[in-house]
Amino acid sequence: MAQFFPKGQVMGFIFSLVLTVAAMLVYFLDMSFGMGMAVLIITAFLQATLQLVVFMHAGESEDKWAIYINVVYGIVIALMTVFGSLLIFNWDM
Amino acid sequence: MAHVDTSKPLEYQTEEGRLKILGFWIFLGAEIMLFATLFTCYFVMEGRTGNGPTGAEIFEIGPVLIETFVLLTSSFTIGLAIHAMRLGAKKATINFMIVTLLLGAVFLGVEIYEFYHYAHIGAGITVSGFTSTLLTTLGTHGLHVTFGLFWGTAIILQIAKRGLNNVTANKAFIFSLYWHFLDVVWIFIFSFIYLKGML
Repeated sequence: MAQFFPKGQVMGFIFSLVLTVAAMLVYFLDMSFGMGMAVLIITAFLQATLQLVVFMHAGESEDKWAIYINVVYGIVIALMTVFGSLLIFNWDM
Repeated sequence: MAHVDTSKPLEYQTEEGRLKILGFWIFLGAEIMLFATLFTCYFVMEGRTGNGPTGAEIFEIGPVLIETFVLLTSSFTIGLAIHAMRLGAKKATINFMIVTLLLGAVFLGVEIYEFYHYAHIGAGITVSGFTSTLLTTLGTHGLHVTFGLFWGTAIILQIAKRGLNNVTANKAFIFSLYWHFLDVVWIFIFSFIYLKGML
């Protein structure tokens, strides 16, 4: 049975639970908006990286650089779209 | 017959299999953009609630936590399915995939309850800019999970019938990428829609 529960993935799962609980504290501890957002940004991006590397095996094949560049490119364009739009529509710049 | 490199896991052994995995990663890049545009609309419209309710008024922590832990666990079990697949254990692969899909169904059930609840308390999709973008974002993710349930079921049937080979292992691996990706998207929904809305 133990062979079906590799250590790396079990540790990854536990770490992802810890990150989720850390994010939840934002709600249960009544943090300020700035503080809460800082915690959420850190936990969400750590969590996403964890999924990508531990569970999605992003770095295991010979195409790993193509995969990493593709994902990073997607994230960069995503962030530009989100923050560019916020700058124009919500922050009046 | 295509060249088969048996030193690699089943899903990478043929060039076609390897390229399908790379191709799926590129598709996921496009999916990142799909959800990024939805998040953009949501963040822009978040405060435009008109006469309707705000996020803080309608979000409930209970169902959201259930959804989050259920989906995180399902992401773990699909990872275990791929691990079992690489050990050549067909039965364990199928069982882990079944657990994954059952958890996906629980997630979907809670989400459907949530949508019903929102409509019931006056936060339907036509109420305000906020509710439109909220329900579109959540609904697009939920639709992906729904599609994943059918897709995963089809792959389980294929593995049950044909066993683990270059083709079925490749399909199962690509499905696992899709499922993990949905979990990543949910983490952002959980953090920047629900928890941010309740701050």
